[in-house]
Amino acid sequence: MRVYNYLDFSFIKRIDYLIFLPVVFLIFWGVINIYSASINEYPNLYIKQAIVGITGIFLMVFLSTIELRKIVNLSIPLYILGVLSLVFVLVAGDVVLGAKRWINLGVFALQPSEFIKVIVILLTAFYLSDRKKSISLLDGLFILFIAFIPAILVVLQPDLGTALTILFPPAFIIFVMGIKKRYIFASLILILLISPFIWSHLKEYQKNRILAFLNPEKDPLGTAYHIIQSKIAIGSGMLTGKGFLHGTQSKFYFLPEQHTDFIFATIGEEWGFIATITILTLYTLLVLRILYWAIKIKDTAAKVVCYGVASLISFQAFINIAMTLGMAPVVGITLPFLSYGGSSLLAFCILIGIVLSAVSTFKKEKIQF
Amino acid sequence: MKINRVFLVFLVLGIVYVVLAGRLYYLQIKKGQYYREVSTKNYIRLYTINPPRGKIFDRNGILLAYDVPTFSLSALPYIVHNNYDTGVIIKLLKEKLGVEIDEKVVEAFEKGIITKIEVAENLTQEQIKQFYNNFYLFKGFFIEVIPKRVYTEYAKYMPHVLGYVGYPSYSQLKKNPYLRPDVLIGKSGVEKMYDDYLRGEPGYRAVIVDAYGRQKEVLWEKQPKRGRDIYLTIDARLQKIAYESFKESGQPSGSVVILDPNNYNILALLSYPIYDIEKFTKGMSPKEWKRLISNKYKPLFNKTLYGLYPPGSIYKIIVGLGALEEGVISPYETIESGAIFQIGKWKYRNWNPAGCGNINIEEALEMSCDTFFYQIGLELGVDRIVYYTHLFGLGERLNERIERKISRIPNPDWKMEVLNENWFHGDTINLSIGQGYLAITPFDAVKIIAPIANGGKVYKPQLLKAYFDNKENQLHMIKPVLVRELNVKPFYIKVIKKGLYKVIYGRRGTAKVLRDAPVVNAGKTGTAQVSRKKDKKDKKEEIKWELRDHAWFVDFYPYKKPKFAVAVFVEHGESGGRVAAPIVKDIIEKSVIEGILDEGL
Repeated sequence: MRVYNYLDFSFIKRIDYLIFLPVVFLIFWGVINIYSASINEYPNLYIKQAIVGITGIFLMVFLSTIELRKIVNLSIPLYILGVLSLVFVLVAGDVVLGAKRWINLGVFALQPSEFIKVIVILLTAFYLSDRKKSISLLDGLFILFIAFIPAILVVLQPDLGTALTILFPPAFIIFVMGIKKRYIFASLILILLISPFIWSHLKEYQKNRILAFLNPEKDPLGTAYHIIQSKIAIGSGMLTGKGFLHGTQSKFYFLPEQHTDFIFATIGEEWGFIATITILTLYTLLVLRILYWAIKIKDTAAKVVCYGVASLISFQAFINIAMTLGMAPVVGITLPFLSYGGSSLLAFCILIGIVLSAVSTFKKEKIQF
Repeated sequence: MKINRVFLVFLVLGIVYVVLAGRLYYLQIKKGQYYREVSTKNYIRLYTINPPRGKIFDRNGILLAYDVPTFSLSALPYIVHNNYDTGVIIKLLKEKLGVEIDEKVVEAFEKGIITKIEVAENLTQEQIKQFYNNFYLFKGFFIEVIPKRVYTEYAKYMPHVLGYVGYPSYSQLKKNPYLRPDVLIGKSGVEKMYDDYLRGEPGYRAVIVDAYGRQKEVLWEKQPKRGRDIYLTIDARLQKIAYESFKESGQPSGSVVILDPNNYNILALLSYPIYDIEKFTKGMSPKEWKRLISNKYKPLFNKTLYGLYPPGSIYKIIVGLGALEEGVISPYETIESGAIFQIGKWKYRNWNPAGCGNINIEEALEMSCDTFFYQIGLELGVDRIVYYTHLFGLGERLNERIERKISRIPNPDWKMEVLNENWFHGDTINLSIGQGYLAITPFDAVKIIAPIANGGKVYKPQLLKAYFDNKENQLHMIKPVLVRELNVKPFYIKVIKKGLYKVIYGRRGTAKVLRDAPVVNAGKTGTAQVSRKKDKKDKKEEIKWELRDHAWFVDFYPYKKPKFAVAVFVEHGESGGRVAAPIVKDIIEKSVIEGILDEGL
């Protein structure tokens, strides 16, 4: 009987399948569409994604068995490791498409900026874990400070989009954890005041992307070309799509980054409105479910983790989808679980794993009471 | 407080969901059909396949021009622009293909224009291999097969006859719905005159292309139809002889036309100096091009068909025949023709201050007596002179394809219209000796002599002897077309002929040099005044080339049964007898050596 006790399978019951199953579905759905989008040019990408996906699924399950507290407690060493690896990327990283984002580990390349998102959320949770009341201004500033260090390192790569995804969850957490209204207004005014300064420090291609987004018809063959082609791809999918592997926009390279940032356009073209609305709804429901736990669980660290993960998924998913629909500038943000990219997929799996861990821990404690 | 904020989050989430879902509905359902059409246009591209142009042969089947396929590297600049920095692609093209691109192409890449451009032509096998080996590197580039004209050895002597091909201009495209911007057409010479025979029909290919312009799959194809081969009336050997004879004369500029008077087949058509036809089609450096267009002897200009020059005394043939037919003078009637012909206070000199004496028309032709022709011309009158000129076919497009420029045959109406002046007797007098306002193309000069040689027939000039009908798979010969007969007494033509004989063999003939020709022939000199301003006292060497007289000679041979009518024009050659006639002599000599004279044409 000791053996039976040792192999305790009760964790399986504690997994929240309303989170777990949609994520697994999205991962496989992503592999299928990466196959369609990349088979002509890179025949093994979908295999890589499948391997990472399966690894990620196991990782989620594994993380769900670990008590949240133990994960959160690791956040300071992880944070230091993360920041150091970002520095290392800047000094000795591989250059891809003009940006240094990768650490080459021989077998595969790692993108530390994807993992730092996870770590920043964890560290915020760790820092706020004892708070019972609304957080103070000092707390807010400190959280922003720990987020800004990696964000600035990422901006230097340069990768503005990812930097925003690092900053967004902590900002969101500060907001929902009840910082005083006046500080929110003050920071909004501050952002307005410094935005011209930021604009003047943007790279030329970043400015062009924003300008092209604001006025796409003016420069149809420049940066806006991508936006227009993406709109054509999605629109031409109509209700039921052109059929799997029959997308002309993606097969003939009219779509940029069709298996990474623009995977949504590939799906929209081949599967039509039925698939796009399903994906959009799935993301929304996933986010709602995580927010549900954020409200329900009383443990502050778990709350913070859930808010952070929900905000990150919604931020990336909605910005990415809006970008392919021509409603947001092209910023290079991946679509969670669907876009090709091992680091991004793994990071999101870890995030979901942590949420599952929070839920699992919550359920376990409830049973014990 | 906290609950309010969470509520706010749900609200924002809801709004975002509705907005994005609405956008998806709008793009995929509402405007789905539109985007479906746009996406179809996006990936299907229609390419034109250039048809091979027909070959050009001379009358004896000597190949002059034909098409070979060449491979060009073309690009869609907007794709290049979207994928590369211009500096990167310049380096890539140089390193991988050894292709250096010019400024125009660089500019197109930088601007990212939408229309296709040619980056490099005449790719070697090695370059093509390199391109396909590195296919993935060259986004927006593709290789096209473009037929190019190749010319044989004999073609070098007739650049103006053959002309060249090029892409149609905007105005040509607008005028002719059958032309395509990427299908070559004849731009000048035979290539233009018989473009409808040579051009063929373009083929089309609908291809699925990717955003880099790479062809993925052929959806539909229509093969081009090759153009028809044509056989010119030109005798390549005679053309070469004409060129060499003119060249050896040392004269810088002029023209030679050789015609078969029995059917007006054009056997040789030279405008001198010529240009290098091969270099012209392959492309020249800006320096070479500048030298070519700034050359004062105008090598690119086809003087023979497009130049207008006063004909001088060769025109006396027409005036003489008109005067005989109209009874102004009878064949043996003599007229006192001195050094000066005076009408009122106006004096008209003979070219030879010694005068001519009491002479008949044969003798007047023999010594090219101006004062004789002043008198009969004045009596004949401008209207009848012009009538006979038109009868010969001067100032008329006997063949629309060949003749574009029309000789200027002045009459009182013309003078009133253009100069707003009345026609004076002096004008008629000047016209009688081929001066004044009269200006003809060197090609029209041969129309003066040909009806005399053939006994009074005017045919449609031909450059096309035959063409190969691709449908019926057989050769179609072009038959001679008689335009009109002069309808003058044959005897009068004989009188003129005799006079022209005397020009060479007479005691006072103006072209005795042709006596040495190995064939009995007859002709007429012409020395046309260009400027009156030159000072007679100046030595010849000091007269600027541009002010010197034009030299002409028209000739036919053999005298008894003429097979050739020749017109030689030497621009500012100064003397028909001394400069133009020896060229004709040279031509006759060389054709005898080549054995051309003995052949039945």
